[in-house]
Amino acid sequence: MAKTILVVDDSASLRQVVSIALKGAGYEVIEACDGKDALSKLNGAKIHLIISDVNMPNMDGITFVKEAKKLPNYKFTPIIMLTTESQEGKKAEGQAAGAKAWVVKPFQPAQMLAAVSKLIMP
Amino acid sequence: MSINIDQALQTFIAEARELLEDMENSLLQLESSPEDAEIIGAIFRAAHTIKGSAGLFGLDQVVGFTHIVENVLDRVRDASIRIEGDLVALLLESRDHMTELVNVIADQGGQLDDAALGREQALRKRLHSYQGVQAGHAAVVVEPEIESSGGTVAGPDNWHLSLRFDREILKNGMDPISFFRYLETLGEIVSIVTLPDAMPPVEEMNAELCYLGFEINFKSDADKNTIASVFDFVRENSSIRILPPHSKVAEFIDLIKTLPEDEKRLGDILVTIGALTRQELDEGLNAQKNPDGSTAPLGEILIGQRSVEQEVVQAALDKQNQVRESKSKENKYVRVQADKLDELINLVGELVIAGAGANLLAQRANDSSLQETTSTMSRLVEEIRDGALKLRMVPIGDTFSRFQRVVRDVSKELGKDIDLVISGAETELDKTVVEKIGDPLMHLVRNAMDHGIESAEKRLAAGKPVKGMLKLNAYHDSGSIAIEISDDGGGLNRDRILQKGIERGLVQPNQILTDQEIYNLIFEAGFSTAEAVTNLSGRGVGMDVVKRNIVALRGTVDLESAAGQGTTIRIRLPLTLAIIDGFLVGVEKSSYVVPLDMVLECVELTESERQGMKERSYLNLRGEVLPLVPLRAHFEIEGSHAKRENVVVVQYAGQKAGLVVDELLGEFQTVIKPLGKLFSNLRGISGSTILGTGEVALILDVPSLVQQAANAEQKISQAN
Amino acid sequence: MPIRAETRNGICHLAIEGEMTIYTAAELKSELAPHLSEPKTEIDLSGVSEMDSSGLQLLILAKRETSRHGRILHLAGHSQAVLDVLDICNMAAYFGDPLIISSNA
Repeated sequence: MAKTILVVDDSASLRQVVSIALKGAGYEVIEACDGKDALSKLNGAKIHLIISDVNMPNMDGITFVKEAKKLPNYKFTPIIMLTTESQEGKKAEGQAAGAKAWVVKPFQPAQMLAAVSKLIMP
Repeated sequence: MSINIDQALQTFIAEARELLEDMENSLLQLESSPEDAEIIGAIFRAAHTIKGSAGLFGLDQVVGFTHIVENVLDRVRDASIRIEGDLVALLLESRDHMTELVNVIADQGGQLDDAALGREQALRKRLHSYQGVQAGHAAVVVEPEIESSGGTVAGPDNWHLSLRFDREILKNGMDPISFFRYLETLGEIVSIVTLPDAMPPVEEMNAELCYLGFEINFKSDADKNTIASVFDFVRENSSIRILPPHSKVAEFIDLIKTLPEDEKRLGDILVTIGALTRQELDEGLNAQKNPDGSTAPLGEILIGQRSVEQEVVQAALDKQNQVRESKSKENKYVRVQADKLDELINLVGELVIAGAGANLLAQRANDSSLQETTSTMSRLVEEIRDGALKLRMVPIGDTFSRFQRVVRDVSKELGKDIDLVISGAETELDKTVVEKIGDPLMHLVRNAMDHGIESAEKRLAAGKPVKGMLKLNAYHDSGSIAIEISDDGGGLNRDRILQKGIERGLVQPNQILTDQEIYNLIFEAGFSTAEAVTNLSGRGVGMDVVKRNIVALRGTVDLESAAGQGTTIRIRLPLTLAIIDGFLVGVEKSSYVVPLDMVLECVELTESERQGMKERSYLNLRGEVLPLVPLRAHFEIEGSHAKRENVVVVQYAGQKAGLVVDELLGEFQTVIKPLGKLFSNLRGISGSTILGTGEVALILDVPSLVQQAANAEQKISQAN
Repeated sequence: MPIRAETRNGICHLAIEGEMTIYTAAELKSELAPHLSEPKTEIDLSGVSEMDSSGLQLLILAKRETSRHGRILHLAGHSQAVLDVLDICNMAAYFGDPLIISSNA
């Protein structure tokens, strides 16, 4: 059964491209547009990996990661944080919250795929 | 897949444009409240998101420029630089340039022209002065290749990986086995030994910690960084040692010494997996016993740099505390492609028609329970139709707020101080109407600023506040939307307009007109009263074009003015273009729909008039010449003439014409279905609709029919 | 209860159902531990749907604990998920149990 990945970002085009790349590699993808939306989607299908942006309206990525880690079904789920060079602080904060993997924006689809494949295979 | 990417790119373009619009609005707000962290946050996020998404598509030009803008914004955010007028202007210009970059992408294969490239250079230079000391990209430290300085070269051409992970990694969702699976995509795991030695006895063992160690013989053409990057996410607190192919024996010996497991056991393992031969191992261990100075630890490509990382983390956290988080407005939308909505509305239109058909059949069948059911269904279908049309309704606010920037820029250009006041921004109207109203509004706004509002001196002299005021207002009014553009300027000069009207032959010298009629003269073709043609107006596009555009949307425009107090232009538009109030007429067996708002009156043709029609194509309507368009002839409908004929008098842009038809079938509200491309050259028809009976009725293109009639009449009068 | 246990002919038969991952590791360990004092144990792995390093670790723990006291532990009915892990970590020989390699492996 294919592994399912939740992609959380407020940019629809980013989600679309990431989703195309991941689906192309054989993963299932669920999209969410912000932290709140993402939390609501965790209750549905079993999600094996989460990719989340930091800067988002409604609920930012850090808060979302903290909340997700509190859920028994997601306390060990790998989380990739989307950071930027100018936000080294966010990366550390994300790691403290439980997102131990990261990809620096802007990135190419192949880079995202590499990061994901290190953590789970489809 | 490439189709999908192309779709994603379209999403990116739409999204970037939206963000750029938000960015512009926020920047304008920033002028009045430069300290607002929320606004600054929103601007930063817009640039940030655009850069991030652009990177995914490999749009380097966008990424490169936006990166600089983001950088400056980041410094604004952490209060390293202060917002002032020049910076806002610079950011606005940068935003414009970003818009241009996005437009270039939208315009596939396009390129920035030289002027734009020049602008970019200039902007970069100006932005640079705000950038301060470049933080630089995250340094990627590539460790120098270790020069072989003697010693035996070991093993085959393979890498050796020695891995002792951070105990916590499993809890973080990182599984060593996943790393191995990934390694297999980079090369071949020739052999691997799993070392459970570190695992404590049952009672002390915590099943959620990782106790396993691994020694791996790995064959790969990948470079050191690529292999090392596999373990990027677990580097902290782990011991990851990677020895490149042909490493010195001494390096393996050093590895054995520093690993926690028993020396002999590790030595055996290295021999088993093929990293060393037994002889190399023995010689190496012996050499270690007699150190000759060349045993300094070497060959560790990647080691846990705990102390360094700790500092970075601390510094980062400190910085983090200064960064203020911003929240944004609740924004819960589903983005739907416009053509999907159009398709839905189209289908709903057909449903309405099919429902009407069912209704008709039910009535004919004379079955009361069937009639009841169909009428309930019709009601529901109508509700669905209204609901579907509402989906396409958007607030006019976004269109209005674009004018903030226009008013700001134009008032600077004109040297006038003008405030824009917006009200009714939440008033909704159909998206298709919104898209088409932008240009006429733009013209009216510019016109009001240029000609309406007086110069500061004149205003002072008239005892008015120096600052001029322009208002944009919208509200719903009996099934249509009214949009008002008002200024507090000098008002229209009634006498001048009348004089000009007479000069141009639009008005007879002795004609008596109401003020209203005189004001409306400015919407006539080629009418301009401005004494000086300024940079803004007088570029050939007159008020007549504005009016024509509005009428094309089935709207009306009128004007109120009070000398010395200002002018208000009021546009009325239908809420949607998808539904039309029509007047149904019949010729032979065909039905046609005339837009009701263009119908003036209906007259029945007398027998003598019908006879006269054979010789001339006009009618004497109460002493006025009314050119006629016999639809039967126009559409080449065959068949005998009906017993009676009627004339529907229609008006467009001040010109009247009479459409000659057989039957008048009454008012009728209908859903417009656009004609396919095939019919785009057809004259006199603007769309179609389906009647309850299932028959198609064509919607008449009144403007073109009126034009045609007027031309024919002109020819005749010239011939005479 | 992811572990079913029953004793037949002096052999303790255990069957593990579902995931052997970090999510279930702690629970599995506490259920598994009491059975490790049996003289002869067989663990049926046919119902293991997913396995990660923590699952492998538990099996190693069980093997090491039993052999240390001269007891016998057999793994049987390895599911594909288990086989994959044993294969990539090269641990089949460590357990020494016969493996049935399916043709599509």
